[in-house]
Amino acid sequence: MMQNKEMKYEDLLRQLEDQTNELRNLQYQLDEANETIEAIRTGQIDALVVHGHEGHKLYTLRSADQSYRVFIEKMTEGAVTLNRQGVIVYSNSQFALLVTMPLSKVIGLPFDNFISPENQDDYRKLLSKSWTVDSKGEANLIAGTERTPVQLSLTTLELEDGLALSVIITDLSYQKAIQEQLKKNNKQLELTNQKLEASNHDLQQFASVASHDLQEPVRKIQIFSRLLKNNENELSTDSQKYLGKIIDSSTRMKKLIIDILNYSRLSANDLSMESIDLNELVKELVEDFELLINEKQAQIIVGLLPRIEANKGQIRQVFQNILSNALKFSATDRPPVINVQARQLARKSFDSVGDQYGPYHLICIQDNGIGFDDAYVNNIFALFERLNSKSKYEGTGIGMAIAKKIIEKHSGLITATAKEGFGAEFKIILPTKQIDI
Amino acid sequence: MNPKKVLLAEDDMDDQKLFHDFLHHRSDIVLLCAVENGEELLNTLKTVDSEGLPDLIILDQNMPKRNGIQTLQVLKKEERFAEISVVIYSTHTDQQLVNEAIRNGASKVVSKPISKEGYGKMMDDLLKLVGPSSDQ
Repeated sequence: MMQNKEMKYEDLLRQLEDQTNELRNLQYQLDEANETIEAIRTGQIDALVVHGHEGHKLYTLRSADQSYRVFIEKMTEGAVTLNRQGVIVYSNSQFALLVTMPLSKVIGLPFDNFISPENQDDYRKLLSKSWTVDSKGEANLIAGTERTPVQLSLTTLELEDGLALSVIITDLSYQKAIQEQLKKNNKQLELTNQKLEASNHDLQQFASVASHDLQEPVRKIQIFSRLLKNNENELSTDSQKYLGKIIDSSTRMKKLIIDILNYSRLSANDLSMESIDLNELVKELVEDFELLINEKQAQIIVGLLPRIEANKGQIRQVFQNILSNALKFSATDRPPVINVQARQLARKSFDSVGDQYGPYHLICIQDNGIGFDDAYVNNIFALFERLNSKSKYEGTGIGMAIAKKIIEKHSGLITATAKEGFGAEFKIILPTKQIDI
Repeated sequence: MNPKKVLLAEDDMDDQKLFHDFLHHRSDIVLLCAVENGEELLNTLKTVDSEGLPDLIILDQNMPKRNGIQTLQVLKKEERFAEISVVIYSTHTDQQLVNEAIRNGASKVVSKPISKEGYGKMMDDLLKLVGPSSDQ
């Protein structure tokens, strides 16, 4: 019993060994065949000899256009050739990859097997049209359980057996994904924009309302403290001093509120632009400052200034703020000298070369006042930033922020350079004409 | 020379009092009893005859129920009141307020003064609007 069993076991073992050998043999043949196919496919071989029943036979490749074959095989698009019946007679491996099927199974199948049901009608129309004219269309390709969006480019191909159709299949997944992402991003952007606009509007409303409403109590402080001041004699020296501080503070508060109100109003998009002569504008301002100019024995030199398209009130405010700063921050040991000059530029940049016909104007306002440390240039243009103590130089710290906002609303640039103790220079670039406003 | 009859509509009691304290001594004006809002102003005007109507109405802009300009619009529509000079006065006067007030028929827009002298000067200016004293 036992022996019999062992016999059988040995037999089985031998059989298994034989089969394993045969399998190895077949595997080897298959590999060889695959290699040959691959060689043909990639253009390494143009002809081959096959041992058949009737002796050796030589197979040469018809239209052995090696470079094109390589090209078709290696390209990243799918490529198939269809016969009159729409059956795949040739496919490159990329197409097999696209439809996640072995190459050998793809060939011989009708191409519409791979077209998603919802695209069948369109595909049939495209197919019949493409026999007469090169055509393109999009469809979803069935790739296993997935659907892959592709572009189909169809063109007729003259083969020895007759007319065939060559189809290039371009995977659009990436493009579609990008498009989808782009759409999403755009939507997000739009949403963010809306939010921003709403918040900007709110902010403007807030600044405006707050400023209006703040003014009433400030005015009360002003009026009642002045009433107190009328009877100052009844107050102690200390109380008189405190009262003076209340009056000063409320005056300053009032100024701040009005400046904030002006600043918030700059955001409104209703600028009326007109052609303004900067020579006239500066002349008017110099007249306005006459008292201060005389008092400080200031000298104001004004070169030839351009005519530009701008909102007069706003540009006037810019020059007013800069000139008033130049007079305010004057040095104590020398009378102020303020120089206003202009020239034309080729580009909107402080590095731009001069160009007497250029579309931009550079306007420089230079003074010999106390100047400031160059490191604080950006602070000058920020809201509420002050470089000097309130007690020495009055002001709200909004003036230059307003100037910057106005210049930016006019599609211009503003900057400043300075040397502490030696003066400051403000540079403005403004276009001759305001475009798309 | 008849003094001008001046009527103030103002909801802020401090401001009503200041207005009165600073101006009641003047001989060229008579301060009619001030009202607190546009509604009250219209009701008051309806009860007086033509002789009793004010020469000048000063409307605070920020009032509850009907603000200055809304009250102004009603006044200008009523034939009996349309000829009365109306002034809008406000803590904050900006170009927008001025434009809107003038468009609706206001004679002037003024900022509320912050001193006794300011009130006096304001009244001097406003009296020019109603012309030299009528010698009716």
